[in-house]
Amino acid sequence: MHPFDIKTVVFAKHAQHVVLIHFPIALFIIGVLFDFLAQWKTQRLLAAAAYYNLLVAAIATIPVVLTGILAWQWELEGQKLKGILLMHLVMGCVSSVLIWVVWLIHRRTRRKQEEVLPGYRLPIEAVAVVIVTLTGHLGGFLSGVNGPG
Amino acid sequence: MRRSVSIAGLAAALVLGTLGFGTGQKSYVASAQEKTSTMEVKIDNFSFGPVELTVPVGTTVTWTNRDDIPHTVVSTDKVFKSKVLDTDEKFSYTFSKAGTYPYFCSIHPKMTGKVIVQ
Repeated sequence: MHPFDIKTVVFAKHAQHVVLIHFPIALFIIGVLFDFLAQWKTQRLLAAAAYYNLLVAAIATIPVVLTGILAWQWELEGQKLKGILLMHLVMGCVSSVLIWVVWLIHRRTRRKQEEVLPGYRLPIEAVAVVIVTLTGHLGGFLSGVNGPG
Repeated sequence: MRRSVSIAGLAAALVLGTLGFGTGQKSYVASAQEKTSTMEVKIDNFSFGPVELTVPVGTTVTWTNRDDIPHTVVSTDKVFKSKVLDTDEKFSYTFSKAGTYPYFCSIHPKMTGKVIVQ
């Protein structure tokens, strides 16, 4: 199939989840990195870059969660999950919620026009990065990146 | 002279044995003695082994997941479909009609195999 052929997109099934997942992971990790740098260097520009990266990361979780759940319902007919698949599902949902929580903390500060972001966001962001990384690792393990071909 | 002949014979046997072993991994034809018995397909390292299995009508094929990753066994023509198989879990299906049954893993669609029922 040609990569720009509409059939490739339609018939890719859960492969869409595997492709889309890279967007929130990359945007969130870079967003957190910018936020830590903004805190350290006290630069508004870095804080703004962090905010917009976190915003797009949060939006990108929506199609990712949807395609993941659809893959479970269509490919596995919604059967009761266990083991790595269950861990991946639970950690994926927790990751998405944490990404939204982090963005909402930033959003709240902006709406209130407060100068300083709350300090408690930093440990939340650090924990979120760890959980996102672990979820991605499990997903990579499941998708067979270590397998032949 | 006799010694060199026996070494050559041993080498030939080794080469033939290795070749036979190698081809046996890709496809397998059940012998007459194995008729109506259970044949096994091993799932390991993201592949089905043997990839192609030829069996007589009435044979029960059992897939065993020897991989660390969950897999499924799904017939392309929707003839059979397993649940998610974790490590060491099995799925069996008895082939009562002759034909070719291609199948794949729905979690890893690149993993494919085929059962030929004669």
